[in-house]
Amino acid sequence: MFVMSYRSTPPDFCHVQQHIAQKTTCFHCGDACKEDHLRFDEKDFCCQGCKAVYGLLQESGLCDYYELTEQPGVKEERDTTELRPELFDLAEVRDKLVEYSEDGITRVTLNIPQMHCSSCIWLLENLQRVESAIIRSRVRFSEKELSITFRESQLSLRALVELLRRIGYAPLLDRAGEKSGKRGAGVPRMLYVKLGIAAFAFGNIMLFSFPEYLGADGSDHLLLKGFQYLSLAFSVPVLLFSSTDFFTSAWAGIRTRQVNIDQPIALGILALFLRSTADVVFDIGPGYFDSLAGLVFFLLVGRWYQAYTYQALSFDRTLSDFLPLVVLRKRGELEEAVSVGDLVQGDHIVVRDQELIPVDGVLRAGIGNIDNSFITGETLPMRRAVGETIRAGGRQRGAAIEVEVLRPFQQSHLKRLWEEHAGASAAQRPAMPRIIDAVAKRFTVAVILISIVAGVYWAGRDAAMVWPVVTAVLIVACPCALALSMPFTYGHTMRLLGNRGVFLRDAEVVERMAHVNTVVFDKTGTLTAREAYELRFIGRPLTADEEQRVRSLARNSAHPLSAVLYQALKPVVTDAIEVEEQAGQGIEGTVRGSRVRIGSALHTGGMAAPVEPGEAQVHIAIGGMYRGCFAVRKRARSGMANAVNGMQGHAATHLLTGDTNVDAEVAAVFNPDHMHTACSPVQKSAFVRDLQAKGARVMMVGDGLNDAGALAQSDVGMTVSETSAALTPASDAILDARSLDRLPQALMLARRARRIVVASLGLSLMYNVTGVSYAVAGKLTPLIAAILMPLSSVTVVGFVTLATYVTARRLWRKEID
Amino acid sequence: MNVIFLLIAASTVVAVLFLAAFTWAVRSGQFDDDRSPAVRILGDAKPAVNSTTTTTTNPNA
Repeated sequence: MFVMSYRSTPPDFCHVQQHIAQKTTCFHCGDACKEDHLRFDEKDFCCQGCKAVYGLLQESGLCDYYELTEQPGVKEERDTTELRPELFDLAEVRDKLVEYSEDGITRVTLNIPQMHCSSCIWLLENLQRVESAIIRSRVRFSEKELSITFRESQLSLRALVELLRRIGYAPLLDRAGEKSGKRGAGVPRMLYVKLGIAAFAFGNIMLFSFPEYLGADGSDHLLLKGFQYLSLAFSVPVLLFSSTDFFTSAWAGIRTRQVNIDQPIALGILALFLRSTADVVFDIGPGYFDSLAGLVFFLLVGRWYQAYTYQALSFDRTLSDFLPLVVLRKRGELEEAVSVGDLVQGDHIVVRDQELIPVDGVLRAGIGNIDNSFITGETLPMRRAVGETIRAGGRQRGAAIEVEVLRPFQQSHLKRLWEEHAGASAAQRPAMPRIIDAVAKRFTVAVILISIVAGVYWAGRDAAMVWPVVTAVLIVACPCALALSMPFTYGHTMRLLGNRGVFLRDAEVVERMAHVNTVVFDKTGTLTAREAYELRFIGRPLTADEEQRVRSLARNSAHPLSAVLYQALKPVVTDAIEVEEQAGQGIEGTVRGSRVRIGSALHTGGMAAPVEPGEAQVHIAIGGMYRGCFAVRKRARSGMANAVNGMQGHAATHLLTGDTNVDAEVAAVFNPDHMHTACSPVQKSAFVRDLQAKGARVMMVGDGLNDAGALAQSDVGMTVSETSAALTPASDAILDARSLDRLPQALMLARRARRIVVASLGLSLMYNVTGVSYAVAGKLTPLIAAILMPLSSVTVVGFVTLATYVTARRLWRKEID
Repeated sequence: MNVIFLLIAASTVVAVLFLAAFTWAVRSGQFDDDRSPAVRILGDAKPAVNSTTTTTTNPNA
């Protein structure tokens, strides 16, 4: 038995690029080259595609591309680019992409997920050197978008897309449509403006306040008064513009009768402004304008830190993003492109190599070789003969087939599978108790009680003190540090996890993860790798000579199993002649004088060996003699055992799979009672619901459409993905497949982050108590407020930053040991 | 001493101008993408090596 694994996709998570030093790597894309790779211009290339791109760039004088970053290229990837160029000729697609079009000059915005480095940006912005019809191209890297202005009279949109595909940057259609023209997720521009104004006011008012604090005497009265009114003037935009978010959020809470952290903040801001204005107008004192501006500034910094997300990753890539919008319908000899929605029962459609089948149908011509990885995660294709039914969602691999539509798209199996959890996006998960909400509730009640008690007490003694004391309590109790600890702790955690290949939708997911006590894994495609296989030969072992013949022939076939054989066998290939491929059956050819056949049992004249679950077989006949067969099965991911075992003592683990059997390697790490086989997608989601009904907080780790229901049902949905263009329905997190073994650490870090938040809340409450004790005694001078407020914010932020990084470092170190 | 009022007024005006400039910069999208502009400057200096030979019209048009 020999074991091999290879990856057909480049590492395209730009955050965790791994450069593995190999003997010979492709000059263009950096992938390892096989021993029979191409050489051109004294450079090594792993495939024809890479060489072609190099040729094109060299011709256009764009070889700077290779100087900015080493091996920047993107290997041509057929999986993620199933969109046909014809599609871009259609009016509905064109309308989605085009931003404006006048006098033959058109601007389009395309989503290009492959861009990952400086060279990519440079090349994509110099497209006019490759194609003169392009006037200007601009990259928005954070959103992986490319805006191109071009002369449509000279270059059609379709030709433009074909050009991009030729150089390895095929556009995706999914998000581009909705997003063009407006900004997507991420930090809203308005937040920067608000932050800028708050910072401006903070800085200036602080300077204006210094003379007062440093004890300016009465002779400068006019000057001090001027400063006070200037401070007042600068505070107005802070109150009316920069802090609007807090007021709207507080008001929303009041309307829904919920207490949230923004209510005491809004109260504090209001109290600060009114008290200070009254102080200045009635000439009582200098006011607390510096504290007001500082408070809003710090709070906005927290918001800004929290607003950071992985914009380039899509956490809700759903079905409609993947299905072809248009299919080829065949009527007699005529082939025409029609929208998927317009297909009716009885239509014949043509599905070519690597295309998704969008509707349920019956195979009418050709040989189906259907890869259902989209639905199940299983990549080994299944054979289908004429007359058999094919379900929507499969991908044809091999020659084109003709399919008769059984039912329209709206009624297809795939559509129903999807609709069972339609609208279930991660944003609508069951609410989880957040610490901050629980604290905010008590905190707000306490602040109001204290101010009332203080007011009543002073009313009995000195009525003039009621207003200053009550406002002082509201000012100093403003939970600024409290409101900062969560965004910073979870924001740091999110970034730390992102560096390790675990990408969270937003910082709040950290808290959800901290509550998880049960982890449910999907098997196929999640714990087993997509394109790593294990081979076992059944029969008398092949000699090296025979292996060479088999490998030489396998090289001539595009079938995925042939590719597996070619990769797995070692000997140097020779030429095979008179090669014939019978689609769906196998391939035959003459290698060094003897006829070699690879393929089905029928094709080679052998006997089908008993198949184990999840295994595919490739039979071999050499020189007319049947030699045996290779059993091919998927391998578990390398970090699988660590990922599951690492959970022990921290969270219960369960395995859900659609298969009837679990391979030994995976079974070894699960409790037999916790393995559930032959689960339909509905059962998977029901299983998660049952666990939740028993009080478990469930994290579902899955991939593919069959897990979509369970992902949406779970408390934290995590999609395991090898490429950034994978299906990620209702996900809170995307886990880079190479980081699978880091999952336990991620969970631990989330839990500790929550503890850090609790500790920092204690710290900030101490500041509040100190402040309130000054306030009730009527001794809160502007100077004390001006010192206490920034001090508490800075120490809390400093504490959580240090604590989070130290915790993370300890966790990672433990992993190495 | 009264000149200080003039100075304060002048410096405040300057500060407000800078604030306005910042606001304009944000609104015009200069903070949207902090990676590509840094790379853009690297390529632009070099003229196209043989741009004359590449001005072929597209066969598909």
